[in-house]
Amino acid sequence: MKAKRTLRIARWETARSFGSVDRKTAVILLAIVLLLAALAPALVAVNPTPGADLYRVGVSDSHPYHDVVSQDRRLQAVDPRTSSLEEGTIDVLVTQSRVVVTETEKSQAAAGVLRESIVAYNDRLMARETDQAAAFPVTVTLSYAEQTNLVDYTGDTGQQSADGETDDSGSELGTTTDTAALQTTKTSPSGDQQTPTPTDGATDSSRTSSQESISGTETAGDSKETDTPGATTVSGGYSGRNTDDGPLSGLFGSGQAGTPSGITPPFPLESLLLAFAFLLPFNFVIQAYGSSVIAERINRRGEPLLVAPVSRGDIIIGKALPYFVGSLGITAGIAFVLGGSVRSIVAIAPIAALFIAATFVAGMLSRSYKELTFSTVTISVVLTGYAFLPAVFAEVHPIAAISPLTIVVNDLQGASVGVGTFVLGTLPATLSAGVLLALGAGLYREEDLFTRRPLPAKALDALAAPLRSRFRVGLWTALFIPFVLVAELMAVAALFVLPVSLSIPLLLAVLAIVEEVAKSLHIYAGYRRGRFKTDRSNAIVLGISSGVGFFLAEKILGITQLVGLPNLDIGRAAFGPDILGLSTIGLLFAPLLLHSVTAAISALGARESRNRYFIGLIFAALIHLAYNLVVVSSLG
Amino acid sequence: MIDVQGLKKQYGDVSAVRDVSFSVDSGDVFGLVGPNGAGKTSTLKAIAGLIEPTAGAIEVDGRKPGDTAMRKRLGFLPEESPLYEDMTPRSYLRFFADLYDVPTDRANERIERTLDRLDLDVRDRQVGDFSKGMKRKVAIARSLVNDPAVLIYDEPASGLDPLTTTTVVEFTRELANEGKTVIFSAHDLYHVESVCDRVGIMRDGELAAIGSLEDIRETFGDIEYRVYTDSKVDGAEQDGDRFVTTVGTMEGVETVQEQTRSAGGTVLDIRTRESTLEDVFLEITGGPD
Repeated sequence: MKAKRTLRIARWETARSFGSVDRKTAVILLAIVLLLAALAPALVAVNPTPGADLYRVGVSDSHPYHDVVSQDRRLQAVDPRTSSLEEGTIDVLVTQSRVVVTETEKSQAAAGVLRESIVAYNDRLMARETDQAAAFPVTVTLSYAEQTNLVDYTGDTGQQSADGETDDSGSELGTTTDTAALQTTKTSPSGDQQTPTPTDGATDSSRTSSQESISGTETAGDSKETDTPGATTVSGGYSGRNTDDGPLSGLFGSGQAGTPSGITPPFPLESLLLAFAFLLPFNFVIQAYGSSVIAERINRRGEPLLVAPVSRGDIIIGKALPYFVGSLGITAGIAFVLGGSVRSIVAIAPIAALFIAATFVAGMLSRSYKELTFSTVTISVVLTGYAFLPAVFAEVHPIAAISPLTIVVNDLQGASVGVGTFVLGTLPATLSAGVLLALGAGLYREEDLFTRRPLPAKALDALAAPLRSRFRVGLWTALFIPFVLVAELMAVAALFVLPVSLSIPLLLAVLAIVEEVAKSLHIYAGYRRGRFKTDRSNAIVLGISSGVGFFLAEKILGITQLVGLPNLDIGRAAFGPDILGLSTIGLLFAPLLLHSVTAAISALGARESRNRYFIGLIFAALIHLAYNLVVVSSLG
Repeated sequence: MIDVQGLKKQYGDVSAVRDVSFSVDSGDVFGLVGPNGAGKTSTLKAIAGLIEPTAGAIEVDGRKPGDTAMRKRLGFLPEESPLYEDMTPRSYLRFFADLYDVPTDRANERIERTLDRLDLDVRDRQVGDFSKGMKRKVAIARSLVNDPAVLIYDEPASGLDPLTTTTVVEFTRELANEGKTVIFSAHDLYHVESVCDRVGIMRDGELAAIGSLEDIRETFGDIEYRVYTDSKVDGAEQDGDRFVTTVGTMEGVETVQEQTRSAGGTVLDIRTRESTLEDVFLEITGGPD
């Protein structure tokens, strides 16, 4: 494959594709693009998230926390002199040295958000600090005070404070007579002023369920305090429910209840919109690309290219490149408008490639534009489901990690993305796209390109084409692993909402079927296309080759460990260490035996007829299911 | 220049080409004729490297089909004229010239000259608006953008009107006169006969006859004697105001003469006629497609 020729074909494809659009259509398309471009910033500016200004915080302009509240879209700063907790006009009151909350769930949640916001604010300040050692050494003294009763916040409005607290003196410790409080004392090395930052009492480990006020004090050398943000003192020490367990704790088996603050935003509308914005263009691009592929085949238009001094790879990549680059260009534009980084583009590339590769195969198999339309709609639905649905749960559920779009959503929302999340999100889609391209390329020859055989027959052609030896059976089984991974991740995503008692058996059945099909379908195709001898011993050897290929390649499923999917009940059933054969030496070869035996059973059926293959496949899947159930049961 | 030995092509259970062997010398025009399904197109595609032979060996100018260097020296014209209807002839031909690494100036000059020779004046309109004959000319021009040494034309005049057919056939002869090696298939045997140096007749995937036109006639053809008389004899047909009797031997001529004299008539004329390629073709293949 030569880049020069590939680029020539890509340039030609671009010119031809754009040249075929008449002026009226071009104007309409341009208008739609401009409209979308105009709407995107408006959408961002409007910020349609229901989480915006969710909680009102009474905090004076001069208080160090005012900046914290102002910079968090979930919080709204309210003048404490004109509002009060008991009237419900604010959810949290920040006095000079205390954060006061009520017993209401909303107030608790507001305090939780405020605390998260303070942590984030401090992190941002720290990140801007050029001298990371400037804050050290720091002495932190924790003292725990026994709670006597609940805070009496009556009358603590505006400049008011709880007993024992004065508004005009920041030097007073934030402990109150009524409140269980945490004192936090920080001492700068110089003994005088310290780097002023709001603190959140993140060191607080004295949570009790009855604590209802937040207070604390920080002294800097001479305990001098000012109201400059972060100038000296801010009290920290939060006691609220549940927040330390993280937003997911209540959802996934910790047994603790969550609060609205635990899910930010409460309904992932922003994620949904962002994911939708990134996926939408692909559905248009694949229509154009699919039409281009089938146009080559109808009336044998692509035949002259096949005798030109260019390779199949030049043609395939050259013709797909404009659509791939176009997809990335559109999404890059969207990312730019929405404030995304290069990470968004890198993350979206595998999905773009998967859309293009799947459409390429569909274009190769379809006999008409009608069949192509059916195929591309199916591709849109399946891939959109794979990428879109999990991404909606970005920041909410670890299942979101299976989609590359989650990386994009996190990037746009300023959240961090771990290596594991990045690998799990992008690798399966990348590998799947590569294998699909390879399968389609196997059909890109005169004898398959221009024939009008039924779609299943051509699919069998594609599967059988690369099977030139027994070794290749195992190799291609291994290459199907990305599809297996994608299918299993989709199954996990679809079933995780069900009760565990139902979802796990269903999932195990799906896994058994998916894996057995992946191990045997190409063997069946090879038999139907006369690639193999039909004697029994050869079928067994083919099955073993396939089983070994699957056993070795399935270790890729280990990447699910990187994002903690196996920590979920359903994730453990699908990707748990025992399923992977990693737990003990004894179990190491059990999956190898299983995969080889079941693949051989399917192969024995495949060598005879389609019906025998189905019977063998069902039998193999049942054995596989039984194995899975035993392993999962042993996990408890 | 082109050497085909023991070529076989199997499509599933169907044998499209069976043990076909022939060679074409440089600068020759070789015609493949045969009914539909005889294996002509499969043979040409195997030579062009479009399909992989099930068995056998092919060499074009000493190289195997599919070899990049060989492709650069090859011009292939499929049976259809598969063009992109939204492109103009110029843009279409320039793209292919680019693929064949033809320098832009030379490509432009070659394209214009070829279109002139093919008498195609409309060059900046979309091909979709063209007649079938005009599309065929564009396809032929495409096969020449790389100035190939070997031309493989599958039914170059298929479905064209007589005038365009004549243009295309004469153009093919001109190309051969320029030293290009041409191998093509055709249904129109008259044109094959008028253009080809050698001919292969295919039937059921096999090469039933091959050689120069003279050789084939000698082997498979006949000489006919047409005896024109003014009186009707056995087997005579009315031909205007006289009768004609066709016989295959001189003995047959003498018999007609005797019968005419016995009837009191006169032999007006005796003419001989050699078998045409079409006659041979019908003889070998057993009838039309």
